[in-house]
Amino acid sequence: MPNAPDPITRNLWHVVAATDELPLGLVETTLLLDTRLALTRGNDGEPVVWLRRDEEQGDEIDAGTIHDRLPVRTAYGYTWTCLGTPADDLFPIPEFAEPDRVNMSCGSIGIHVSAPRAVENFLDMGHFPYVHTDILGSEPHTEVKEYDVEVSEERDEVLATKCRFMQPRAAKSATTAMEVEYVYRVPHPFCSVLYKSCPEDESRRDVIGIFLQPMTEERCRAHLLQSMIDSTSTITDLRRFQQTIFGQDKPILENQYPKKLPLDPRAETPIRADKSAIAYRRWLSQKGITYGVIPQAS
Amino acid sequence: MTITLYDFELSGNCYKLRLLMSILGLPYDIVPVDFFPGREHKADWFLRLNPFGQLPVLKDDDLVLSDSGAILAYLAKKYDASGQWFPDDPAITAEILRWHAVADDITATSSAARLALGYDYDFDIEKSQKGAHRIFRLIDEHLWFGEREGRDWLCAPSHPTTADIACFPYVMLSEEGGISRQDYPALRRWTDRVRRIPGFTVMSGIFPAGPAKVD
Amino acid sequence: MPLSLSDPNWYPIASSEDLPFRHVYQGQLLGRELAVWRADDGNVNVWENRCLHRGVRLSIGINEGQELKCQYHGWRYANRSAGCTYIPAHPADAPARRIENRKYPVREAYGLIWSAANDEKPFAPFPGAEGQSWFALRPMPVNAAPEDVVAGLARLAPDDQPADLLPGLTVRLGEIVYFVQPVDAGRAVIRGLLPETPADALAALRHHNEHLTHLRDRLERAAARKPAPEPLQPIYEKVSADLATMPDIAVPRGNTLNVVVSRKWQSADGVIGFELADRDGKHLPTFQPGAHIDVHLPNGLVRQYSITNGPGDLLSYVIGVKQENASKGGSKVLVETVREGDVLAISEPRNNFPLRRDATRTVLIAGGIGITPLLSMARFLDKSSLPYELHYFTRNGESVAFKSELDALHGAVHVHTGLARDAIRGTIDQVLGPHQFANHVYICGPGAMLEMVQETAARLGWPDEAVHFEYFQNDKTIDASSAFDIELARSAMTLHVPAGKTILEVMREAGLTVPSSCEQGACGTCLTTVMEGEVDHQDVYLNKSEKASNTCMMTCVSRAKSARLVLDI
Repeated sequence: MPNAPDPITRNLWHVVAATDELPLGLVETTLLLDTRLALTRGNDGEPVVWLRRDEEQGDEIDAGTIHDRLPVRTAYGYTWTCLGTPADDLFPIPEFAEPDRVNMSCGSIGIHVSAPRAVENFLDMGHFPYVHTDILGSEPHTEVKEYDVEVSEERDEVLATKCRFMQPRAAKSATTAMEVEYVYRVPHPFCSVLYKSCPEDESRRDVIGIFLQPMTEERCRAHLLQSMIDSTSTITDLRRFQQTIFGQDKPILENQYPKKLPLDPRAETPIRADKSAIAYRRWLSQKGITYGVIPQAS
Repeated sequence: MTITLYDFELSGNCYKLRLLMSILGLPYDIVPVDFFPGREHKADWFLRLNPFGQLPVLKDDDLVLSDSGAILAYLAKKYDASGQWFPDDPAITAEILRWHAVADDITATSSAARLALGYDYDFDIEKSQKGAHRIFRLIDEHLWFGEREGRDWLCAPSHPTTADIACFPYVMLSEEGGISRQDYPALRRWTDRVRRIPGFTVMSGIFPAGPAKVD
Repeated sequence: MPLSLSDPNWYPIASSEDLPFRHVYQGQLLGRELAVWRADDGNVNVWENRCLHRGVRLSIGINEGQELKCQYHGWRYANRSAGCTYIPAHPADAPARRIENRKYPVREAYGLIWSAANDEKPFAPFPGAEGQSWFALRPMPVNAAPEDVVAGLARLAPDDQPADLLPGLTVRLGEIVYFVQPVDAGRAVIRGLLPETPADALAALRHHNEHLTHLRDRLERAAARKPAPEPLQPIYEKVSADLATMPDIAVPRGNTLNVVVSRKWQSADGVIGFELADRDGKHLPTFQPGAHIDVHLPNGLVRQYSITNGPGDLLSYVIGVKQENASKGGSKVLVETVREGDVLAISEPRNNFPLRRDATRTVLIAGGIGITPLLSMARFLDKSSLPYELHYFTRNGESVAFKSELDALHGAVHVHTGLARDAIRGTIDQVLGPHQFANHVYICGPGAMLEMVQETAARLGWPDEAVHFEYFQNDKTIDASSAFDIELARSAMTLHVPAGKTILEVMREAGLTVPSSCEQGACGTCLTTVMEGEVDHQDVYLNKSEKASNTCMMTCVSRAKSARLVLDI
């Protein structure tokens, strides 16, 4: 029997699908916190999510006949739901609304690892030369320089700033190596947003989000968002770039064990470069998250 | 000659062609196809290139080809001056085609499990995993005895062929389908050898091997 | 009988042939996954299949010959010790703490690799093992409980010749011995041995393989009819408390170990080589290139010597000692009185001269006996196929030490003999050239030479952080005439340092335990963070910009220019 999710996790908004990819009038099925869900979109295009009973993927359905609906929000191109009592709002990504940005989903990819492990990998820069070789990093430029981490009291999120890394090809629009500057936010226990220097416009930042759908404690789906300043690349090009990166992370994540993220500081060996991961683990611990993690024995 | 590959980065079948062209040093252009999540391989413009709606498609000037195994044979026969990747010898040709068929079986099992677990495809995961294990057992045995007979590759004795290229990607990506290779040590050693072929290139999900020992 | 995680028996986990060079084998015993790899020196390592940093399987890493490189962040772990030697995210640091992967006991015998879950039992040959030249069959993995596999093998015996059940899941059928490797509660590998290589080896292998395949299929059909046993749940050991936090600077350990002088030889004119090994033949602790050991000499003195070894080369440390006529006390005692077979106490290796492995060009410059740390660096770079040049300046051809070790390197090794001072300067000038991004130079040699290289490098635009050096000794005259107060922030005490006494001495008298080693401002052991006050630096360890930063000092020789210093102690 799976562990019941902790109340914090239960009451969170969770991503379940890219809204545009939900078929109109057909059933889509998925799993969230060990719970079977069914999804569809009505004729108005609005997503509907409910607890799955005997529906099968691809069944025709009239959204009007579904009564026991779960709460739904649409944000950043994705559909979000909640199995408990949700907060009013989802975390903000103000840049998403800027009119000249290219916003896109980049696919929802299943990974055999807990959602928090995937968040932690997203925050990590030290692996760039070894996992994203010749794209986000390459030997000999392996150094992770000092950066700042704080837990923002006001917004209740982990924030890592002044993260710098030497990258051979930082974005689809980059052609030469450059030192890029990153800012990472973890505004949700299972979501992270990254801001990186934009090769096309020095004054602005590209935004990349990873939203993890915790299917079980050891399995999740990564929903990727790009919000870019890029006037030349096509959506297909930009998706391909992001999928290439994520496809490289996948075998690493699936070869990590235990699959749940251990919160005991003595479970693994951090180095200075892991400051943001340490802050993230502490933050989860303090919040009382127990789903998808191995809580610290008290 | 202008070679154009209609390509999806995360596709092992497309990677087979990128891999052989990299080994042969063939220049080519890529037309990215949004297979996932865009399902562009079912779009009308793509179906006109390949009515089967499958990647990869390769265009060599005006010639349009599909099916990764067939294209591997085409590229080797046309552009491999050494003649080693798809030799003319009838017996070896038959052997290679035999292993191209195995490669398709690996796609139908290992790749299906990967698509089901990672990309939401509605395939029978357990059946696909079992099928892959059955094939991997046989390949491991074939390669284990090959090592004792002085044959490092699937077919010809002294060099790799398109058979090795065709089977390699979805063996290497099997863990994404929940298929461990722990029980196939000879298969794992063969993946090291493939990754040390001069001109080898990676795809997302496959890491390079370190250099071999030099004495 | 159910399997136990703490079963102390030895089991085969692989065939010898499963471990070619530069390969990492993925194994499992009693539920625990193993990364098994053969180093270039032939040694077989059996480690927990998990990098201590972030839990990634090491079996997807790279066997670099003498080190295993994790695929996730490129951490290197040494052959034999499993100790971490390099963390690329912090290329300028020596790994500050002892990070060591979990190792399992290993033995290679009878064509098989053997291991055990713990060290409780010494390895013992199976009954009847000796006197045969065993020949390993193709291993046969079976998805069935190990005890069912043993029973299945026993049932293969003809009625008139029952199987012989040996301890440790072993079955003897006639002359063939079958070992059942307990992979997990529901998984096993049958590993068979024939007492000698058969005449037609291939035919015999095929015959037995067919036989075992049928057995496997029967066992798996039977297993499928039963509920699958619950897999074993191995516990991952916690790392030590000091690994769970991130210290800013290395905290040297006070441990010493006893080693035996296994070899002493004249390596060159004026240089004596010493090989120091564990008395029981075990491997010595992990070191990083550039590291030194303190050698406790019979006359009570302690002296530092650099380790010359290459990566993963831990069965002994080789040091080079200068045979100086005028050497008082230190090297003289080693050279004249210590003999092969003598026991010496040494410290664990420390590294104040860390090698970055992220340079696009690494220049190593050695003068005389200064070759010792640079030889080790060259060997590490060589093994990882990283570019480097080694320039070795000696008085004459006869004084070139470690010649055969230098000859074994693949990189650019230049020996410059008998050059006059100006010629040396000219050569160094040429060798360095103008500084370019990610170029680093490492120098070790006489004080005058170090200063010459530093000056030349500075003139050619090399920044301080690209110029790395190690002094063997501090030739400067220490001025101990000042008197001042020190405030120890963490210990909440204020002490007075009078003229003629060092800060270190005063702190010790006050009952504090503070690490130190050379006590002449050369080794870096007593490095201390300065919070307030102006330091009168008298050491040769810190570089110019470190000294100018006024944030750290060596308490063994340096003093205060201000009336008061606040130290982070």
